[in-house]
Amino acid sequence: MAVLSTLWADIRTNWKTMVLHGLIFAVLFQVFMMIALIIRFQAFPNYVTFYDWIGNVAWIIESTPSWSDMVPIIWEEWLIEIGKMNYDYGTGISEWSLNVVPSRLIVLFILGAMVSLCLALLRSDTCTTAPSTTLRATTGLGAVLVAMTNATMSWVVCCATPSWVVGLAMLGLGVSTSLALETMGPILTWSGFGLLFALFFYLAWRKSRPSLEPKGVSINA
Amino acid sequence: MKTFTKSAFLAAALVSTASIATSETISIAIGHQSMCTDTYTAGIVVKELGLLEKYLPTEGRYADVEYDVSWSDYSSGGPITNQMLANKLNFGVMGDYPLIVNGAKFQETDSLRTLYVAGTGYNLKGSGNAIVVPVESDLYSITDLEGAEVSTPVGSAAWGMLLKAMQDNGIPTSEYVLKNQSPAVGAANIAAGKIDAHSDFCPWSEIMEFRGTGRKIYDGSETGVPYLHGVVVREDFATEYPEVVEAFIKAVWEAGEWIREDPMQAVTLMEGWTGVEKEVLYLYFSEGGHLTLEPSIKTEWVDALRFNHGVLVNEKAIPPLDFDAWITEDFIRAAYADLGVDYDADKATIVDPAVSNMGLPMEIWHARDGVSSYSTLPEFLSAVAVMQGTGALLNATYVYDVESGLKLFGKTAFWVKSGEDYATFLRRGEAEAFASANGGTLVTFDEAIADFITEG
Repeated sequence: MAVLSTLWADIRTNWKTMVLHGLIFAVLFQVFMMIALIIRFQAFPNYVTFYDWIGNVAWIIESTPSWSDMVPIIWEEWLIEIGKMNYDYGTGISEWSLNVVPSRLIVLFILGAMVSLCLALLRSDTCTTAPSTTLRATTGLGAVLVAMTNATMSWVVCCATPSWVVGLAMLGLGVSTSLALETMGPILTWSGFGLLFALFFYLAWRKSRPSLEPKGVSINA
Repeated sequence: MKTFTKSAFLAAALVSTASIATSETISIAIGHQSMCTDTYTAGIVVKELGLLEKYLPTEGRYADVEYDVSWSDYSSGGPITNQMLANKLNFGVMGDYPLIVNGAKFQETDSLRTLYVAGTGYNLKGSGNAIVVPVESDLYSITDLEGAEVSTPVGSAAWGMLLKAMQDNGIPTSEYVLKNQSPAVGAANIAAGKIDAHSDFCPWSEIMEFRGTGRKIYDGSETGVPYLHGVVVREDFATEYPEVVEAFIKAVWEAGEWIREDPMQAVTLMEGWTGVEKEVLYLYFSEGGHLTLEPSIKTEWVDALRFNHGVLVNEKAIPPLDFDAWITEDFIRAAYADLGVDYDADKATIVDPAVSNMGLPMEIWHARDGVSSYSTLPEFLSAVAVMQGTGALLNATYVYDVESGLKLFGKTAFWVKSGEDYATFLRRGEAEAFASANGGTLVTFDEAIADFITEG
């Protein structure tokens, strides 16, 4: 209970920073992906398309009978597509693109806010028994797992598999490795969030536990 | 709370769709691929000729209906399936592997399904997919790919063909480097010699051959697995408007008839619609071309789709697919009946290029005079020599592979001269074997033409 109280107190203290960091993280991640694409393909994007996300979501809700089907379909709806059109063949082929997907923006916002809270807890952690680099690395690992599985880059290579591993394949990971990882997406995402949650509670527990400083005066003082 | 939220969204949706309801408009959205030749008879041709509109029902319950037909062009099948899931597309036109993923992804949901209602065209042995190497490469056979870097659009029909071709030739995946590359990137890398080989679907291999950047070393026909494309429709749409689905299939059928009637004119128009060179399209759509335009659903096609599903299950762990629930002949049978065409006769007919192309004439596409035919290779070569002698521009020339009956560009075929006769081959290996068995020699296309150049 004390752990939850500590955590809640930290969230109340830092919520503005968490929101700000969440927003910055979600936006910066899009910028990062765009830069990665430009570097990978040695080309700048040459087209942008905006989608009626709200209208599309409303239409999906209207025309999908089952809630359980609705959510994953809405999850994949795009807001913006920025990419490179190749006009060497035919009337043009979208060779690669960055897809700004609202559902992923929400995940990345939550991730950014969680990382912000972790760092705030780490800063206020006065205990020196555990090396802070390990805790920071754990935060980083959790963030990487979540962010990696929410990459929204696409490439016209995967006729039948628009998925997060397309981003990995595009960035140079082997095809077989990428495909092997495909079904692990949700596990990796939840593992990342799990790590961050575990870290929250661990740091909050350390913060909330009674002080272990020795009473009295040291003999050698 | 759930009900309230859904109601709120529905209210918002109703505002945007109110106009549809009041004016009795049926929206028909079709996803097609203008860079995939085998989809044209259910895609770009139907769109540009307005064939769907021609057959849309206008009587009975449709008497006061207005139609809003929209077409969306995609570079692959995957996004079409996603848009169909979101109900932004009612129909999707795609190749065999993406079709299977479409059916499986829909059947994975609780409430949504698609139906496979018609084909577009096929090649019995699998031509359309091919492995291409840079034109200057010293690789001539699939067995040369051991240790090589091979790229392909993963998940496409060409990817499935590549896996099977390698397995058939005893080359395990550990013995070559597989890279995931889009058609355009693969074609560009072949042109630049940055990749040892690229496996792709129709018509990319022929585009590379026509542009003189690539050379086929393996044709999909060698796998013996039919290569086909087809039409899927959302089941809810098909249930509500079965006559519209039938109209679509009638349009597909007529598109095939229109192309058959005058292939040269058809591909010339299609070049303008798609940007794919007409000479490449002619290789597909002319008599003896790679593609048999006929939409019936044959037992052999279902077997091929089942085989392909097995490949996808092994490689990508895609969901199961109940083929009996997914494939239906109800709509196509009704469409054929309305057209007065014998469906069972079409279904029973399978065109094998190795048989049906035997004895077909060679062709020269003169830039000004159009296509002319020649029954023998000496006549054909003589005509090329004469035309070149006048400085005429020849768009392309077409011959046939002795082994498979596959239609080839004259300039990319391997030529064997044996006495006064000639033979043409897709691959060098077969050409060499034929030459040694018949006391012939391998010659280039230019050397063969030179035999017929007369002085003065």
